[in-house]
Amino acid sequence: MELGLKGMKAAVTGGSRGIGKAIAMHLAQEGCDVSICARGEEGIAATRAEIEAEGVRSFGTALQGRDGDAVRGWMRETCDVFGGLDLLVCSLSGGGGTNEEGYWRRSFEIDVMSATRAVDEAYPHLKKSGKGSILVISSMAAAETFVSPMAYNAMKASLVTWSKQLAEQYAPKGIRVNCLEPGPTMFPGSNWEMIKVARSRTYAGVLRQQPTRRMGEVDEIAKSAVFLASPAASWVTGATLRVDGGYTKGVQF
Amino acid sequence: MTIQRVKPGDFTKTPVDKTEDPDFGTEMIPKERYTSRDFMQKEWDRLWTKVWNWGCASQDIEEPGDYIVTSLGKEEILLTRQPDGTAKGFYNVCQHRGNRLMMGQGNATTFKCNYHHWEYKLTGEFENIPDIETFPQGAPPCGGLTEVRVEEWNGFVFFCLDPDGESFDDFIHPLKEHLGPYHFDRMVKVTDWTVEWECNWKTSVDAFNESYHVQGIHPELLYFIEDKHLQIDTYEKHNRYLIPFATISHRVNETTEIPHLIKHAMKEAGMDPADFDGRISEIRPALQKWKREHGAEQGLDYSDLNDEQLTDDYHYMIFPNITMNTHADDLMLFRQRPHETDPDKMYFDVQMFKLLKKDEEKPRRKPKNERFKHGERSMGLVIDQDAANLPGVQRGMHSEAYEGLWLGDQELRIRHFHKVLMDYVGED
Repeated sequence: MELGLKGMKAAVTGGSRGIGKAIAMHLAQEGCDVSICARGEEGIAATRAEIEAEGVRSFGTALQGRDGDAVRGWMRETCDVFGGLDLLVCSLSGGGGTNEEGYWRRSFEIDVMSATRAVDEAYPHLKKSGKGSILVISSMAAAETFVSPMAYNAMKASLVTWSKQLAEQYAPKGIRVNCLEPGPTMFPGSNWEMIKVARSRTYAGVLRQQPTRRMGEVDEIAKSAVFLASPAASWVTGATLRVDGGYTKGVQF
Repeated sequence: MTIQRVKPGDFTKTPVDKTEDPDFGTEMIPKERYTSRDFMQKEWDRLWTKVWNWGCASQDIEEPGDYIVTSLGKEEILLTRQPDGTAKGFYNVCQHRGNRLMMGQGNATTFKCNYHHWEYKLTGEFENIPDIETFPQGAPPCGGLTEVRVEEWNGFVFFCLDPDGESFDDFIHPLKEHLGPYHFDRMVKVTDWTVEWECNWKTSVDAFNESYHVQGIHPELLYFIEDKHLQIDTYEKHNRYLIPFATISHRVNETTEIPHLIKHAMKEAGMDPADFDGRISEIRPALQKWKREHGAEQGLDYSDLNDEQLTDDYHYMIFPNITMNTHADDLMLFRQRPHETDPDKMYFDVQMFKLLKKDEEKPRRKPKNERFKHGERSMGLVIDQDAANLPGVQRGMHSEAYEGLWLGDQELRIRHFHKVLMDYVGED
């Protein structure tokens, strides 16, 4: 099956590590120019080098996810440098936390607002593309009670609702919008890698609920993500795809 | 990840210079030091009865007449506050029939033996001997209780059973300069536990003299401390290592989420981890800066401490048996006491102290000394992990297949400890 990504221009927020990076790399391997933004300069430089090694162009800016001007600036510059945009993947996250007020602010400003700001700036370019596509990365934690009440889960849920509404509004403009809910995913430097050691009981509790007794790998998430974002999924919009290895127990009719 | 350290020229009162590593060779430490009754007796004769011993916290005997009984091997020592404010110590034994004089801790105007009510003044002299006329030989010529030398420093009371031994100042050198800036006398005791452990006292001392075992039995700490790249310093008798806290070990990958122990340290200082947008590796210096800037307004005086003392663990061993995890806001002190008769047993004392804020009132009740056996209650994850491990180490010491301790560079403090130990004991 041909994904139809060759020659497309893509941007991934938070594309320097974990799931975001895996998505960025798969897009590059499929022939997309890829732009990323993330907190660490070194991570951006290293990822850009890997992207360019695939024979495509790269762009990247180090920024704080809650810095609205910076996110908007990166999105505009990406479109300038690439001369347009076909694909936007909103993957940036401030990570989990607790139920304290600071974390509500943090999840809202980083997870939610970085996505809405990037979409806002990308919209005119995606419209021009004709094959424009937005993929919002939410979380399985939005769909089912998970660990404890906290801002992260609720903010990720808000992304699901928002992306569905965007899908309806943008469909006539030729832009598809989909959402992906990854389950617990393990990679070097992942929060789960830390939790496995630092809070081994929490980790064991989560793993027990995973039917395969293992966590997902970033490639397993990224391949689904890249398909959804690609022209191969041309009739898929307003969908939320859960990629969790069977973690969640609810049945979606 | 490079750990930022205090540099020459930065403010510090506690010396931070690295001492030159002594060359103690690579020989095996014989296991018999941990198992032999003969060696245990030599330790009693040549170490415990000669060395300065940590006795209690000054706050344990705050008011005149306050007393506390502490034990060391087969001896019990009565430490008490005098009306003139000084501390005195006595063997806790009645000169009449040898009965134990006092128990636990409390306040007294005289020390009265339960058996025949022989009574002693706070100064140790006889106060009253009932029916003294029935002793044709009169009262014992010693005049009262047998005194031991006592010295008080930085909130602690030390005693020495050797009337002619070295001075406390010579013994403790150079730690007065090192530990003075922490002002332990401004801290209040919040925990006082005594646990009987099934291992030699040195098995326990060793466990706290190296951080090599962190990646073994304390993996959680890899997300709170740097466990390998430490500064180890050895002095004449005592030693230390400086462990960076509020950071992650070079052994693990940096995450985006702040590990929970680091979050806890930030929150304790009033810094909201949700508002911190830097990397994990940037937290330690940021937390130091935060505490430096906000300490005074929180009523916490850190003015005598250098920047890394605000986050790190300056981990001292006062020879022979005191382990101190010193922090800006608290002190976790372990005392490892030999058993009365059995080299395979020991008493592990945990005393935790917390820095009081300016004008903060002391808790009305002092914590009571709680005594229990290993496994009867939790002492927190990390000490529990050590406690669970030690009986197995002691058991292995008795194996035909085990000859002695095979030590690496990360265990230099253990070699240093054994060097000083053998300076006292003289021979295996």
